[in-house]
Formats: sequence, C-alpha cells, structure tokens
Amino acid sequence: MIRANSRRRFAALVVVLAMAAFPTFAIRGAGPKFYRDDPLPREPETVNASKVAPQDVDLIPDLLLHMFTKRGDPAPNVRAKDINTIDEVPDSSWFTNRIYAHDMTVEEVVDGQIVDAPPAPGRWTFIRPKSAGFSPGFTAKDSHGVIWFLTFDPNGYPQASSAAVAVATRLFWALGYNQVESFITRIDPKQVDIAPEATISPRPGKRRAYRRDDLEAVLRLAARDADGTYRAVAGRLVPGKVVGPFKYYGSRRDDPNDLVPHEHRRSLRALKVFGAWTNLVDMKAGNTLDTVVEENGRSIVRHYLQDVGSTFGTGANGPRDWDEGYEYLWEPDSMLKRLWSFGFALSPWQTVPYQELPEVGRFEGDEFNPEAWVPRVPTPALVRARADDTFWAALRVTAFSDEKIRAAAHAGAFSDPAAEKLLGDVLIKRRDAIGRAYLAKVTPLTQFAFDGAALTFRNVATDVVKLPPPDGGYSAEWFAFDNATGESRSLGKSDSTSLTVQAPSGVTVGEGGYLKVAVAARDSHHHDWVPVDVYFRRTGGSWTLVGLERLP
Amino acid sequence: MLSSPSVSHGLVVAAILALGTGVLASPIPAAAQDTREEVIAAAQAEKEKTPPPATESKAEHISELVGGVLTPKSHSFFPYFDSVYSGGGFTLGAGYGWLYGDHSNAAIRGLYTIKNYKLIEAVTTSSQHLDGKLTIGALVGWRDAPQAAFYGLGMDTVLNDRANFDLSEGYGDVTAALRPTDWTLLAGSVGVEGYTIKSGKGEAPSIEEAYTPATAPGLGTNPTYIHSQATAAIDWRTSPGYSRKGGYYGVTLHDYSNTNGAYDFNRLDATLIQHVPVLRETWVLSFRGDMKTTLGDDLVPYFLLPSLGSGSTLRAYHSWRFRDRHSLVMSGEFRWIPSRLGMDMAIFYDAGKVAGRREDLNFVGLEHDWGVGMRLHGPAQTPLRIEVSRGSEGWHLTFSGAAAF
Repeated sequence: MIRANSRRRFAALVVVLAMAAFPTFAIRGAGPKFYRDDPLPREPETVNASKVAPQDVDLIPDLLLHMFTKRGDPAPNVRAKDINTIDEVPDSSWFTNRIYAHDMTVEEVVDGQIVDAPPAPGRWTFIRPKSAGFSPGFTAKDSHGVIWFLTFDPNGYPQASSAAVAVATRLFWALGYNQVESFITRIDPKQVDIAPEATISPRPGKRRAYRRDDLEAVLRLAARDADGTYRAVAGRLVPGKVVGPFKYYGSRRDDPNDLVPHEHRRSLRALKVFGAWTNLVDMKAGNTLDTVVEENGRSIVRHYLQDVGSTFGTGANGPRDWDEGYEYLWEPDSMLKRLWSFGFALSPWQTVPYQELPEVGRFEGDEFNPEAWVPRVPTPALVRARADDTFWAALRVTAFSDEKIRAAAHAGAFSDPAAEKLLGDVLIKRRDAIGRAYLAKVTPLTQFAFDGAALTFRNVATDVVKLPPPDGGYSAEWFAFDNATGESRSLGKSDSTSLTVQAPSGVTVGEGGYLKVAVAARDSHHHDWVPVDVYFRRTGGSWTLVGLERLP
Repeated sequence: MLSSPSVSHGLVVAAILALGTGVLASPIPAAAQDTREEVIAAAQAEKEKTPPPATESKAEHISELVGGVLTPKSHSFFPYFDSVYSGGGFTLGAGYGWLYGDHSNAAIRGLYTIKNYKLIEAVTTSSQHLDGKLTIGALVGWRDAPQAAFYGLGMDTVLNDRANFDLSEGYGDVTAALRPTDWTLLAGSVGVEGYTIKSGKGEAPSIEEAYTPATAPGLGTNPTYIHSQATAAIDWRTSPGYSRKGGYYGVTLHDYSNTNGAYDFNRLDATLIQHVPVLRETWVLSFRGDMKTTLGDDLVPYFLLPSLGSGSTLRAYHSWRFRDRHSLVMSGEFRWIPSRLGMDMAIFYDAGKVAGRREDLNFVGLEHDWGVGMRLHGPAQTPLRIEVSRGSEGWHLTFSGAAAF
C-alpha cells in the first residue's frame, strides 16, 4: 500500500514537473512534432480494460455540481486533446467519423444504426421496470428472447417522445456517436406476460414480485391509442457489461485507456453545436452509458450517448418548458434582471413564435441563435468548446442535406404529415443557422492538398453559407519545417484570388522532409481570422497532409 | 537526471497527460517510441500500473451530502415547514418519516415556535388506490397555542381589544380524497377534536378578564367535536402547494357535533382560485375568493368562528384579528417569476370582512391591504414565503411555509 502511494505521489510529481517544463520543451522542440504514423486514423486503446468497475452518478449531486461549480480543468482556451495532427477527431470508442468524413447515403443515415432485426412480432415478456428517467417504460423480451428497453409516449402527447428518440438516434448516429439501436413498435397490453422472476422495488430497501397492476400503473402514464395499444420506442440492449455513465469532465481513473479529460474531448465539446441543432437540453451523466466490450481480443470501454429523446420540442412528459435551450436552470444574471424589472426585462424565449404541434412540441428555427443555446446546466465539455471545435462540428451539421434531414424526420413515423414536415423544416433552418454562426468564426478553409506546385483547398464559408470570397484574396507563406527541432525556415510567399495558390519557385524539401504553409484568407469583414498552418510530408515523391492547426 | 528509465517514462506519460495541445497531436519529448501509437500505449500502460488517486473535492462532497438528504429513503428525518396555529411566530419543525407498502408513508413530526406554541402529530397517507384515483390518510395530534388572540366580534374592534387564551387541542381524523378525473376532486374526513381552553399567556389580558360569554360565545366551554367534512371541487392546478396555472372551484361542508354539550354547528366554505398565466408564465395573475358561512342559528365557540387576519387572508393584519359567524376575503396577486427553478415575486392586494349576519357579507366596509412578497418554491410546494404588507393598522411582516392560496 505504502509503495503504491509512493508511486502515485511520484507520478503526480512528474506531472507537475512536466507541466512546469512544457514551455521549455516547446521552445527547444525536444521531440518530433510528427511521428511516422501521424495523423492517427484511430485513437489507440491498447490496455485491457476488463477491470473497469460499475459507477453511479446520482442525478441531484450531478445537477448541483454543474449548476453551482465549474468542473474540470480550470485553464481557459485549451485546445481539444482527442484530435490528431490534422485537427480531426480519429475514430474511437467515443466517436466514429461518419457524415462529412464520408459520403453517407440517405439510406445510411436512416438505417445505418440498424444492425439486426426489429422486435419480433408476438408476445412480450416483461422482465424489469424502468430504472431511470421520467418517461413511462419497462424492459422486456420479444418473442425471440431479445431484450429491449421500451419507452412510451406520455399521456396526452402521442408520438412525441417516441418520434424524438427515433429521429434523434439516427441523427446522432450519423454525426458519429454510439447509439442504442431503436425501433418504433406497438405494444398490446394483452400480449405482455410478466416473467415469474420479475421484481419491483416500490420503496428503498423493499423488493417484491412484479404484478399486473404495476404494469397497468405504468401504462396509465402512457398515451393509449383507440385500439387499446401503445406506441413505444424499443431500444436494443447494448452489448457488453454496463459500467454506468460517463461524466462530461475528468476521466475514468479505472480505465487505463481513458487519458483525455472529457472536457477536452472535441467529440463532447461538439455537443454544443449538435445539441443546439437538436435541442438536446438534458445533457446529464445519467443520459450517457459506458459498457465494457471485447474488441480485437481485449476489453475496452465503449461510450454511448443514450436517451437522446429529450430533443427537439418535447421532453419526457410533454412539451419543453419555454426557457429550455435558452437559459440554464440556475442563471443569476437573468434572475436579477427579471427580479428588479418586475418581469418586464424579457428574454428571447418569452416571445419567440412557435408553430406548436403536440407531436413536435416547442421547436423553431426562424429565430434560433446557435451561439446562445444552452443545455439545462453548464456542461463542462460544452463550455470549453473553442471556435475550432464548433467549426469542426458545424461542418458535420451542414453536411446533412435537406433530403437526409427529411428522411431522418420520416423515421419518426408521425401519423400527421404536418408534424414530419415541421420537424424537417425546423432542422433545416437550424442547420443553416449553425452554418452561418460557426463556419466563418475561424479561417474557413478545409481539404488542403499540395501536389508539389500548387496548394488547393476549399472555402466552406463560400460553399456552404454562400458568403462572398474574401475581398483581400488568399495568401500563403511557405516554410521548410524541421520536424526534429520544430524550427521553420521561410521559403517565400504567394497570393491568389482563387482556391489554388501556386508555390513560389524553389520550394522544395528532401524525401521525408516537411513543408509548412501558413494560409490566410484576407477579408475586411473578418479581421479575427488567423492563418491556418498546414504541414505536408514528402514521401515517395508525393505530399501528404500530416498537420493542420486552425487556432493556436 | 533523465537517464533513469522510470523518470523518462514518467515524463512521457506526464507530457501526454499534461500538455496543452492534443494528446493525439502533441509534440512529445524524446522517448524510445517511434510512433505516436507507441507513445500513447506507453501512457496507457503507465496509467494501468499507476492509476491516479481517487479524489473528492469539497464541492463534490457537499453535493453528495445534499443529494443524500434529498434522495428518498425508507426511513429518514426531515425538516418540517408548517404552522402550529396562526400567530405563533417564527417556527422550527422536524419529523421522522418512513415508507411502507407500495405507496404509503407515515411520519411523526413536531413544531415549536418562538411564542412557545407546540405541535406533535403522527400522520399516514396511502395513495394510488383505485387505479391511482384514491388517496386515504389518518392523523392524530396535539397542539398548544398559549397566546391565541381574540379581539371581539365583527369589524369594529380595535387592536387594544386583544385578549389571549391558551388553546390546547387533541385531534385525530381519517380522510379520503378521490379524483374521478384529473380535474375533479371529492374528499371527505371524519375526526375528533377535543379543545381545552385555559387562561392566555402573554402581554394581553386573558380572555376571561376582558370578555363574557355574551361577547365571546362559548367562553368557558371545552367542547369535543366529531368533525365531519365533505368537499366537492373542480381542481386543475398543477399542485395546491404551488401553481402557475389552473384553478380550484370548490365547496366544503363542515359538521361539528359536540359530544359533551351544546355548540353543535355546521359551516359551508366556498373557495374560488384562478391562476392566469401571461406570456408563457412570465407573469401570473392569481385571484382568490373565499367565503365561510355558519349555517343556521347555532352558536359557534369564539375560537372556531370564521376569522380573518394572518399570512393567508388579510395579510397586513394580526392573526385572528377579525372573527364572526361569516367571513369573506378576496385577494389578487400580480406575480412575476425571476427564476423558474424556484423563486416567485408578487404584489398583492387583499380585501375582506367578517359579519354576524350572512346578509351583511357584502362589499361594504371591507378592510384592505397590499404588499409585496417573495416565495421560494419547488415544483409542488412553497416552503418559504416572505411578505411585507400594509393595511390600516400598519406594516406587517409574514413568514410562512405555505402558498398564500
């Protein structure tokens, strides 16, 4: 024990020393900037994580901590730490590059998350009550013995919650997150048996056999159709051992592969944009899930965003509260403003118009301001999102075509076509607002390539949100880059008014050498744009993009 | 110094964990690894070997404690916010409760006030019967209010008319509340209330020194009542304890049968409450009308007469300031909501009167007050209401553990 403590103290001391010494490392370039396997396409998870133990994150302490304290790393303006050298998030147990990174078809957006058959027709067997969340539901086996989590629409709001889950699951899967495979299904109470071993805990410390009237009590809270059946969304039991939720800050101390503090994961920071798009306000630990799964012969922890049904305009029990998405639950400034003004200091949520359909709830796109959107409580990963994080996220949101969005909305299986149309319309408007808000926050150049003579790239601000080209054109400053020392030697400058910039004569490096180009878009309306530094490695006579730094 | 393998290895790990840029993109100090994957693998191996220590910040510890207090338990102590008897002053209370059955609870609770008012109760409630429509309950308790006030009958009394009496009451009842639909309520109860009136304490004279049975009906009597009541109401508020919308329109019939003498009487209460949300509950206009009328000509003991004056009727007046056989109070509130999480403000106006004859229960001769208040609330309860009000007898400060209406 003493030895273990000593080792921990020693490791902590080393961390402190290294942090103090970091500027020295950076200046003298003690190590290579790029390794030969950069950029990593996948985040390595090399250690067996089978010893990860289940953990609970209770709702009330979680809410209190987020409302009243600042969780995670106190350092401001920290660059995301789960990105590779070309400023991209590699595939991992957290995130898989799908839309934007690859050409996804409409069918992939709609059905990509589906890996197996929907619930088998026939009788259901109730096996346990729902243990989390406020919407009515339970866990049951279908007639083939497959386990599903069934969640019903709240009484008075048929189709709202189930459609939200069905649509949001598809959007978040396409965005790159692990999702619970979900289907809309129909439950006839007469077709539900109760497993003899099923139990319920009606109060802490007490457990008894589950009875028919317990099931009826759950269904009384659910929207019942005229034929006596209930629409539900069925979520397939995820594979692996469930080890509880993850937090939006820190890392799991018992998961050796979890090196990056969660608040510094771009894949979580990006939820500031994805959450705004879909109005995913209920971003608490309890709506996440970690499981230990076998992959390539070792155990790793896979991370899910689950229960993404608190999206769009509906919550677990009906339409959203008016201020959700606009204000944190606890926001002293707004409170004082309203207190002293007798309520006459209005906030946007008090006047924004809605086309309110019960299946969709309160969800609008005309006055949506993505930068002002907030979840219920300050979420550490989201509040640390920088402009390069939101740019990265906006590229993915704007990669959803109208057709893909409408196809996802169709997966909600609304009986009223107007509801499907409204949801699609609003998502499209909010997508466009996100593009306008974030794609021009940083120098909006992507997809850099160099053929030895000219640098080419794409301007997403002109392509996606139709801004005019930068009125000062593009410029590039060329350097030979020493990967061992980090030193750069200027090779010249060149300008262009197009998306191709010719290299100055004499730009060359030897085999295995590196070229650095600082690319600027000069626009009188965007003085805050800083050049993008891109790095190419010469290998076998061709040039490979190995580095991209959009912001320091 | 860096030649020690463990130190250089530690530095690699430290750099991975601590550098200001991406772990997957950081410039790494010189190390044995040729690839970034090897560097990261080394850091993961190091974390496996030496996991970071488990730590808990003070904030985390406090939030866990608060969460523990707020999480339902099968047995627990709890703070109890209520009133012993109107006029008792600052009150502290606590209880011990436990759950039993599926939807049943029981508690023993007590209150004590700065004026030595005392209350102890045992209560049980069982809900979710008849498909969730029926709630039943039972209550036994005892209270003592040694400085209960009596100012005489009618509206023409003055503050200097105050006399005190010591009211002790033992009580018990069983109740049932049925909600045939979400918005209808049928409720009833039968109970025993035994009163013992003694000489009052405090600065004011004791009631027997200032009043006679002619001016204080029932003076000297200690009745024990079988008290039955029945309520029929339309109630679509979100909760009686806190609501920003909905209304309550109800009537309650009381039957007091004295088991040891005279003073049987019946009373009818009619209450209308309406909350009107304005602009997405930015504001709420709340209105309340409440009438209590004694039926027939039966004599009612002075301490059970309808009364006005307290934190929930005529708020700028002392508790029990006006008493008579019939009462009427009307209130209007302009509420605004600084924080939907738990804070309301209100400007209010009350008007009311008591009368010896029902035909005098009109809008002539009303006492008025106005004021401003702050309420800290939850989704269904108002555990703290602080109000400053002004009437013809001056300013009044109210602390209450319940909604005004």
